[in-house]
Amino acid sequence: MLQRSAVALNSGLQADEAALIRAAQEGDQDAFAQLVYAYDQSVLKLAMNLLRSPEDARDVYQEAFLRVYRNLNNFRFDCSFHTWLYRIVTNLCLDQMRKRKVRREEPSVLTAADGPLDRMDSVQEERVDGDPQRHLFSGQLRVRIKSVLEGMTARERAVFELRHYQGLRLRRIGEILGTTEEAAKNCLFRATQKMRAALGDFV
Amino acid sequence: MNQSDDAGANGKMDCEQARMYFALLLYGELSFDEEEQVDAHLDTCAECRAALERQRSLHAALDDFAVDPPAPLLRECRAELVAALRHGPGPRPVKLGWWDRFIGYAAPGPILRPVAAAALVVIGFAGARLMPNVAPYFGGNIVAGANQAGFERVSDVEPQSDGSVRIVVDQTQQKTITGSLDDQRIRTLLLDAVRDPNNAGLRADSVDLLMRRAQSAEIRGALIYLVVHDQNDGVRLKAMEGLRPFVSEPDVRGALSSALLTDANPGVRTQAIDLLIQSPGGDSSANIDRATIGTLQQLMSQEKVPSVRQRCEKALELMNASAEIY
Repeated sequence: MLQRSAVALNSGLQADEAALIRAAQEGDQDAFAQLVYAYDQSVLKLAMNLLRSPEDARDVYQEAFLRVYRNLNNFRFDCSFHTWLYRIVTNLCLDQMRKRKVRREEPSVLTAADGPLDRMDSVQEERVDGDPQRHLFSGQLRVRIKSVLEGMTARERAVFELRHYQGLRLRRIGEILGTTEEAAKNCLFRATQKMRAALGDFV
Repeated sequence: MNQSDDAGANGKMDCEQARMYFALLLYGELSFDEEEQVDAHLDTCAECRAALERQRSLHAALDDFAVDPPAPLLRECRAELVAALRHGPGPRPVKLGWWDRFIGYAAPGPILRPVAAAALVVIGFAGARLMPNVAPYFGGNIVAGANQAGFERVSDVEPQSDGSVRIVVDQTQQKTITGSLDDQRIRTLLLDAVRDPNNAGLRADSVDLLMRRAQSAEIRGALIYLVVHDQNDGVRLKAMEGLRPFVSEPDVRGALSSALLTDANPGVRTQAIDLLIQSPGGDSSANIDRATIGTLQQLMSQEKVPSVRQRCEKALELMNASAEIY
């Protein structure tokens, strides 16, 4: 009974979202705003973590929702809205990451008068740890993690981000990236092997 | 991944092969056979068991590397999007209305997370949080400190027909407020805090406080919402803990069943099992009901993590139920 009610409630939420999408497709601005509102936080987080640049994340946010707005009438409910939206966002991020590889940019580092400045530091609000040795260890680990993330291919980064930080299962990640669950798993495997090779002495 | 590439001819893994799989094991993404082989190796290798624990710590350390977009950036993104939609060559001109509330409210949550089920009370809670909260927080027995910090930012300018200019200014001010947990206004602030997507620590601390008053239906609704929707494993676990005294409530059981079947974290799924079989008195003598048995049997058909499967099997045993669906 409870199980059935859980399923019914889940269907209720999906129906709620479907109603919003249909209303937005018919030109209801409030409905579209509510759809953006429901997802834009996680979209920005995904873009920010993949691109590690607030400016690039902002561009992706804007472009993604403009594309959704322009193409919403083409959305046919053959996948979830979440999957469709994440596909758009991930593709934009992958394009950006590949462009960067070509340009060999260092997107998150600026040069200030007193030396290099990591722009992400300004948005990272971590709890202060009182133990200096632990702080040092954590600092070294961060540098290493950053370096290994930068060493991953764009697809490995995307799969790793979607699995580790967004908590999506590989089947859903496969749908988002337009590939199979097995291919996503292979990609995650390669990403974790790189992580292991780079951080082996920390564990 | 072809396991025959990694396991030896006898199907057994050595230390190096097993360790290659640790990360996928922690994600709960190994196939049944792969996990069996890793488990078989771990049973006989203390060094690898220790290495797995180290890998678990590294896994947790990676969590700290996530960046949460700061609220001002989100606000800017929203304002730019609305501006682009309003003035750009889109198919439909955007009018004022929900969009103004949308850009004015910078701390939303993922209201429609698609993977989870939720109780009706949760929808009520989410809906209530959708709007900017303009409740008068200060007064009565609440002590509000003087303004400690604040900033202003122009978010929109528009010429008026009479030659004047209309300017929209976003203002943020910080205040210190002290009050009793029984004060509805304090509760309202804490209920807002548990929906701050940018700060999992704040959400966890707020849950800690709110769970002391979980007899309130509103707070229970918030805890249920967090169990199903919060993106942080620790917050979901804490919210579950807060619901422990109310496991016999149908909406709580619905949320726990949903977590059991859809949560990506094995620890959360394990705790959901423990709570679902806990009797209202608090001991873990089986809380037998057919729906719980059905949910646990469904879990057995999809669960890949051995420790969760074992816990689930044990729970079904306690209920004198089969682990399989016939």
